[in-house]
Amino acid sequence: MIAHLDRKLLRDLKRLRGQAAAVSLVMACGLAMLIMARSLISSLEGTRAEYYQTNHFAEVFASLKRAPNHLADRIRALPGVATVQADLAVPVTLDLPGLDEPASGIVRSLPDFGEPELNRLFLRRGRWLSPGSRGEVLVGEAFAKANALNPGDTLTMLLNGRRQTFHLAGIVLSPEYIFESRPGAALPDNRTYGIFWMPYKEVATAWDLYGAFNHLAITLAPGAGERPVIAGVDRLLRPYGGLGAFGRKDHPSHIRVTDEIRVLTILSIGFPIVFLSVAAFMTNAVLTRLLSLQREQIAILKAFGFTNRQIVVHYLKFAFVMVLAGLGLGLLGGVALGQNLVVMYELFFKFPDLRFRLDGPAVAIALGVGLGTVTLGVLDAVRRAARLPPAEAMRPEPPANFRPSLIERTGIARLLSHSFRIAIRNLERRPAQALFTVAGLALATALLILPNSFKAGISEVLDFQWDVVQRQDVNLGLVEPSSARLAHELARLPGVTSLEPSRSAAVRVHFQGRSRQIGLRSLLPGGRHSRAVDRAGREISPPPHGVILSSKLADVLGAKIGDTLVLEALEGRRPFANVPLTALAEDFTGIAAYMDLHAINRFLGEGDVITGASLTLDLSRRAEFLAALKEIPRVSTVAIKETMRQAFRETTAQSMGVIQSIYLTFAVIVAFGVIYNNARISLAERARELATLRVVGMTQHEVGAVLVTELVILALLAVPLGLLMGTGLTTFIIGSVNTETIRLPLVFTTYTYAFAVVVVLIASTLSAFVVLRKLKHLDLIAALKAPE
Amino acid sequence: MSRLPAHFPLLNPPSPTPSNPPAARGAPVFHVRGLTKFYGEGATQVRALAGVDLDLHAGELVVLLGPSGSGKTTLLNQLGGLDIPTAGTLRYRDTDLTHATESELTLYRRESVGFVFQFYNLIPSLTARENVGLITEIADHPMPAEEALGMVGLSPRLDHFPAQLSGGEQQRVAIARAIAKRPAVLLCDEPTGALDVHTGIVVLEALERANRELGALTVIITHNAVMADMADRVIHFSDGRVLSEHRNATRALPATLRW
Ligand SMILES: Nc1ncnc2c1ncn2[C@@H]1O[C@H](COP(=O)(O)OP(=O)(O)OP(=O)(O)O)[C@@H](O)[C@H]1O
Ligand SMILES: [Mg+2]
Repeated sequence: MIAHLDRKLLRDLKRLRGQAAAVSLVMACGLAMLIMARSLISSLEGTRAEYYQTNHFAEVFASLKRAPNHLADRIRALPGVATVQADLAVPVTLDLPGLDEPASGIVRSLPDFGEPELNRLFLRRGRWLSPGSRGEVLVGEAFAKANALNPGDTLTMLLNGRRQTFHLAGIVLSPEYIFESRPGAALPDNRTYGIFWMPYKEVATAWDLYGAFNHLAITLAPGAGERPVIAGVDRLLRPYGGLGAFGRKDHPSHIRVTDEIRVLTILSIGFPIVFLSVAAFMTNAVLTRLLSLQREQIAILKAFGFTNRQIVVHYLKFAFVMVLAGLGLGLLGGVALGQNLVVMYELFFKFPDLRFRLDGPAVAIALGVGLGTVTLGVLDAVRRAARLPPAEAMRPEPPANFRPSLIERTGIARLLSHSFRIAIRNLERRPAQALFTVAGLALATALLILPNSFKAGISEVLDFQWDVVQRQDVNLGLVEPSSARLAHELARLPGVTSLEPSRSAAVRVHFQGRSRQIGLRSLLPGGRHSRAVDRAGREISPPPHGVILSSKLADVLGAKIGDTLVLEALEGRRPFANVPLTALAEDFTGIAAYMDLHAINRFLGEGDVITGASLTLDLSRRAEFLAALKEIPRVSTVAIKETMRQAFRETTAQSMGVIQSIYLTFAVIVAFGVIYNNARISLAERARELATLRVVGMTQHEVGAVLVTELVILALLAVPLGLLMGTGLTTFIIGSVNTETIRLPLVFTTYTYAFAVVVVLIASTLSAFVVLRKLKHLDLIAALKAPE
Repeated sequence: MSRLPAHFPLLNPPSPTPSNPPAARGAPVFHVRGLTKFYGEGATQVRALAGVDLDLHAGELVVLLGPSGSGKTTLLNQLGGLDIPTAGTLRYRDTDLTHATESELTLYRRESVGFVFQFYNLIPSLTARENVGLITEIADHPMPAEEALGMVGLSPRLDHFPAQLSGGEQQRVAIARAIAKRPAVLLCDEPTGALDVHTGIVVLEALERANRELGALTVIITHNAVMADMADRVIHFSDGRVLSEHRNATRALPATLRW
């Protein structure tokens, strides 16, 4: 048996279902985002933690040139070290049928017999390597998928310059390569870059590394600190070309997942706040209207002995029903969004089993936050209504007071039509309601700016990267530093129209106690291919002495132009040098330092060597060039601009598509909901006035125009504000997701703004139209009876 | 202190007006036969009008009396094109109002009818002048809003909002709004119902003057039998039907009425 008061609640809800639905929908957007983001965070964190645990992911990592295997025992003896796994990681190029350009990647060694202790693989398909086998390889899933490779296929690989054919035994995943991409690349290019595993013997033989290792994975003893271990490892590896040990938090694949979790955390806080505030304001508007309508009912209830508290609870229940409906929708929406995003994550992250797991606590948080916000939004209004002495409440509300609006008092009154006056005076009389509507519409507009601006930013990064900074068609990397004479040989390959040699080295940059391990890249004075560009887009020519840093790196180090940095080479004889910071380069992916090619060679003291080259091609002879390139064994990596660009475009198009449709949906819901609510409330409050206008001979359209004028004024205020807000929001979000791996420039185009404006206006117009149809059913005769 | 001016020179007719003899007029403005109106359905069905026969002529001032619930307002609503009768004939001049569409009714109200209601129904966000102006904007040959407000003695209150006017003043704004378009028909439902005697008489004077000077057929519903004296014709209504009617030889001036 439902209490009678609850029955009243149900009837009130039924009458106000349109508005209640609008509120619930807006709330659902925020709660969906909250549930989605929190669930994804727990899915990602949980799945990653389990994966790490099950597959014994290491805690400290180090690369080095080469060291004898017995060195591993000394590392094992370091205090705080639990397990040490010494293995090999070497570059490889592949010749894939159907792929006219060479692919490249890394080959990792596996113990010849038995499973590795750390960083164990997960077998997705096929089988493990047969113990003691030769000529077999395991392939990372991302590469296998992108190239449609299956167990049983054969692969032609160039190992240390020797072409060999391998049998693909199985397709695997590794906790070291959850994000499987070229080092430093912002986005994966799985078609031309892959990870492979072979028995130690195979790799060591091919590279003359038998009895040695060049990569270390370490786990820490329980309670041991990471820093002392890293320091100890660095000390021991120094004579063997150690490149600096690092912990999980600097592990490239780990960082990518962590970055994503960080973005989700921002989403899980920012979005719900914004949406729930709008929803709370909308609830407030709906309830305030309901309360003023029911003044006399409240008075009667009180006259018959209901307590203030019962009345407050009664109206709060009204709000809570909307929250519950919003939570239900938000739950559905959150799960749907989460499942969509998990699919998108599969483009980037390779887990044995990443599934969307609905996070129970997230739902509870959503419920709590939802109830909390609407209570905040309405409690005051409800309390005031309940406290009204019955005698006072029995009297109808005093007539509305109006005065000439501010705008009219500026003297343009004569130019205003009557419906414009009615509209503007009503808005001024209820500034809060107008303000919330404007805020809601502005929010919708702002939401639409973000994804397009993201997209424009990414496309600008791609254009910048490949049209401004790297204008070559192909980048070649050499197996090891070679004499500069190799450049002449490469320049003679068919189709090559120009060639510039390059030299890169692993270095650590130090400045006042802060340091970063980065790639030092060469620039050629007057070079036409790789360049460094400053904030204003001007080319920076490499100084004969001194170094140019990515401006992000300078930020991280806290260094300014003119400061002296210490460069520590991590290879060769590992020299140190003091170099002045002479300029800041604007780059968007990774962090790097740039120096004159000759200056690098002087610094490293290895004579006139190169580690790679950039080329431009006569594209009609591309196939010929690639065929000839395969005959040059010393080339280890080949990156072809067009291919990478295409791959990035596809990945971004897919992921941005998902994100854009989410924002679009949310924006449309908010715009529609906010306008609907505003118009419904105006319609309800002014039914009498509008009906009177109809009685005295105005047509439906003319009466509609009165309402529409109000909405148009609100939209005219809201849209520019929304564009501003969107610009701010985008600036904030892009700023807060900027990392050392990728930074997006802020790009705001006319298209971005126009898109937002058009979508919001269409949604608002449709919404207004839905409400205006109700004018048809205005009860003309009821309006002439005694006022309610 | 009275909020009303002591007297309105414009509103002081010299002497009682002789009633218009019915023969002086041709075809009626409203031709009503067997007019029936049902509300609702089945068991809860209410018969508000039960076959009304009536002719109303141009320039007449008609007072409609009858007990509560007898169907006066319903009849007025049908005459004013606010509602469509269930059965019977209702013609306004050559227009058949029984079969008019929504937009035809709107046009009819807009061009021909002025309404005055018991609860004024002014637009609270518009001043007196603007409330009238709103209607003159959409009328064919309106008088200026100021002139209409002058006719009801409100020249000094042009720029006041409804909330700043007394009930009688609000009702006079409503009358000005109704007459500003020079309507052929002026329909008033208990125009003095919410007013005290003194204020009521001021309002009636405004109506009487509008009727006299504009020649609009004026129908006034009231519960106040005293007001019958100011009419050309008095119709008694009961149970949805015309019970009786009589004609006054002369119309009493509103100022002479007392209740
Ligand atoms: N919309 C409606 N729905 C149902 N019944 C109605 C409706 N409007 C009026 N009635 C009924 O029709 C009858 C006539 O009502 P009407 O308002 O015309 O009376 P009235 O003579 O104007 O009364 P009063 O002097 O009290 O204003 C009444 O019984 C009333 O209950
Ligand atoms: Mg009535």
